[in-house]
Amino acid sequence: MTLVRVPPPIEQDVDLSKTYDAVIVGSGAAGGMAAHVLTTHGLQVLMLEAGKKLPIEQELRSMQWPYDHPRRGDAPPGSHHLSFNEYTIRKPPYAKGAAFKHVYSYVGGWSGSDYVKNILVDEKDHPFTGTNYAWVRARCLGGKTNIWGRLALRLSDYDFKAKSHDGYGEDWPIAYADLEPYYDKVDLYLGISGVKENLPHLPDSQFQRPSKLNAGEVKLRESLKKSGQVLTPYRAGVTTDGLKHNKYRSKCYGRGACDRRPGGCDIHAVFDSPTGLIYPAMDTGHLTVRPNSTAHEMLVDKNTGRARGVAFLDSVTHKSYEAKGKVVILAASTLESARLLLLSRSPQHPNGLGNSSGHVGHNFCEHVMGPGVTGLIKELVGKPHTLDDGRPGGFYIPRFRNLKDRQPGFIRGYGYEGNSGHSMFPAHVMDTPGFGGQFKRSVRDHSGAFISMGAFGEVLPRYESYVDLDPETKDAWGIPVLRFHYHFSDNERKMAEDMVATGREMLEAAGIEVVGTDEKVLTEGWSIHELGTARMGNDPKTSVLNQFQQSHDVRNLFVVDGSSHVSASCQNPTWTIMALAWRSCDHLADEFRKGNV
Amino acid sequence: MTDAPKHPESLSRRDMIAATAAALVTPLLQGGAVSLQPVAGVPGKFLTAAEYALLDELTELIIPADDHSPGARVAAVAAYIDGRLAESLEPDWQAKWRSGLQAVDGLSRELNAKPFLEATPDQRVAVLTRMAAGEADPKTAPERFFGELKGWTARGYYTSKIGIHLDQEYKGNVYQRGEFAGYDAK
Repeated sequence: MTLVRVPPPIEQDVDLSKTYDAVIVGSGAAGGMAAHVLTTHGLQVLMLEAGKKLPIEQELRSMQWPYDHPRRGDAPPGSHHLSFNEYTIRKPPYAKGAAFKHVYSYVGGWSGSDYVKNILVDEKDHPFTGTNYAWVRARCLGGKTNIWGRLALRLSDYDFKAKSHDGYGEDWPIAYADLEPYYDKVDLYLGISGVKENLPHLPDSQFQRPSKLNAGEVKLRESLKKSGQVLTPYRAGVTTDGLKHNKYRSKCYGRGACDRRPGGCDIHAVFDSPTGLIYPAMDTGHLTVRPNSTAHEMLVDKNTGRARGVAFLDSVTHKSYEAKGKVVILAASTLESARLLLLSRSPQHPNGLGNSSGHVGHNFCEHVMGPGVTGLIKELVGKPHTLDDGRPGGFYIPRFRNLKDRQPGFIRGYGYEGNSGHSMFPAHVMDTPGFGGQFKRSVRDHSGAFISMGAFGEVLPRYESYVDLDPETKDAWGIPVLRFHYHFSDNERKMAEDMVATGREMLEAAGIEVVGTDEKVLTEGWSIHELGTARMGNDPKTSVLNQFQQSHDVRNLFVVDGSSHVSASCQNPTWTIMALAWRSCDHLADEFRKGNV
Repeated sequence: MTDAPKHPESLSRRDMIAATAAALVTPLLQGGAVSLQPVAGVPGKFLTAAEYALLDELTELIIPADDHSPGARVAAVAAYIDGRLAESLEPDWQAKWRSGLQAVDGLSRELNAKPFLEATPDQRVAVLTRMAAGEADPKTAPERFFGELKGWTARGYYTSKIGIHLDQEYKGNVYQRGEFAGYDAK
């Protein structure tokens, strides 16, 4: 089957002599959304992306069978993906002294590491120092939206007003009611699939057709229902009914095997920033994109202290350039945006741009993951094999801890992501002992009979969890790198224990035999949900940005990515990043018209 | 086949598998890549002829042909592993395989007083059984090699056409029209 594919729009020439209305640094979920909203309002926008613009359809090869790839999807010799052991035993920079030609982060799926080699950065060129951290970076147009896990969740006032609820940390300067209309806009513009559950702590979206559950998942859902708990089909940032207003994206055809690839979808039913946001913004005629542009400093006007543009190097030639803008928007990712602010020191901003509070790089938080359970559904053993993975994801069990109850060991909560049923590769093969005919039959009979789920928990923001600039180490472009000062705490460890114990109880209550548990907490950073290094707040002394992600210190500087989040919630951040960016850019466009920025 | 009379319109399951297997395997045979017969006397890209024949036999013993689907030999698992070894830039990994295969022969001499491929089928199984005995906690060289051998055999087999389509009868990676498979969450 061949789908009609619409080629990317013609690119506008970059004119660096011109002062653009806005210069955006970064092209992921946040940068893409800023470009979409601002161009819709008629602003002239220049977007700088450090990586290349990939011919993404060729890159993803979403339906390639493993046997049609020379290494069954594995990366070529000389390429190495870091393992959990390496992240744990060694210290960053992880690629230092490595014999391999290229070293990448762990991302790659069970047989898909060759498909991310041009999306992920080579750790050799992009070192960092300090404490252990599995930092996954994607430098290419669209950034990590090219490989994201697709789980698209809303936050609620249990998150925005978490301090009011349990006394820890800070409340956000907004409430759910402020963001709800923007979540709706994101849902309708990009498409999301799911089922309404009417939960106060996980508000429903404007859903398109949900994906379905399979036999094992229905069994667990029915059992949980008896105790008032919820298992809902994966809320995926995927258009299942199609989007009439976007010619670059197809609806989902349930081709599945989405877990085999690290997220990418060559028909763009899955949201990615290029086809979902950037190409339509280019079609307005107001957006110019310059890939291969490594920003290294936000420039300020000597007299006013206001932002005036961005200094960048051509990523390929290493030549220096400046882009000028009336407004500068950082959307380079939580950690890269913090790095850029810290790199932008000037007489008016000696601690880095927008950092009079000293909070840039601090209050760094994310999700803790690793703990989980696997169960065997006995009645499915030996049953005919069915199509179970033709969908963007399995299921989600929303947070249930510390909503009405108060756990003795930890505050906040976690949710489980999981799935059951057949997949292309029988992952249980190495847990099936022995060899020979009996072994082969056992692998076959047990295929599709397992259910597994892993938890994502909220990591508390702490001032002591931070990044700063390493005084010595530089990246391949000569730019100082980040140094991490970041560890999980007791709250996360206690929560991790509960994740395993509760997961076990859930499966057992459903009559599912628990055959495996993961107690291991994965290295900091593994969730790829880093947040909070330039948090919003009403007090300029303890926060970096106001409720519109606008710098307290520099009013024409906005930071619209995950760095603005005040706390991590346990719900995945991408949809919130985009709803916030939409709200802030609406505000910005309004202020721009009034001449206030 | 007991279910054949109930479904007279369809091919029996065994016929269907045989037909599909032939369709899948024929192009491979024409390419000269694999044989239904054991590999003999032909060196691999990395392994010697003797090592390659030994590996081919080991993979087939781990995932043998049965009445459901062909085994690792027809799925050309040894050729896949040999190919990966040949292009590897990691001498340690290559050496691990070379010494691992030697350890298998060593164990066979110890148990059967002859190299693995000269032993009887039962004797060969006895060697693998000994290697697999320490699967949960490998201690000796042959036990340690068993995990490596089994892991790569499984990867090679279950990512092959035969493993995915004939053995696992995987149904996905296709365009679905209309209603998707599964159950509504109600």
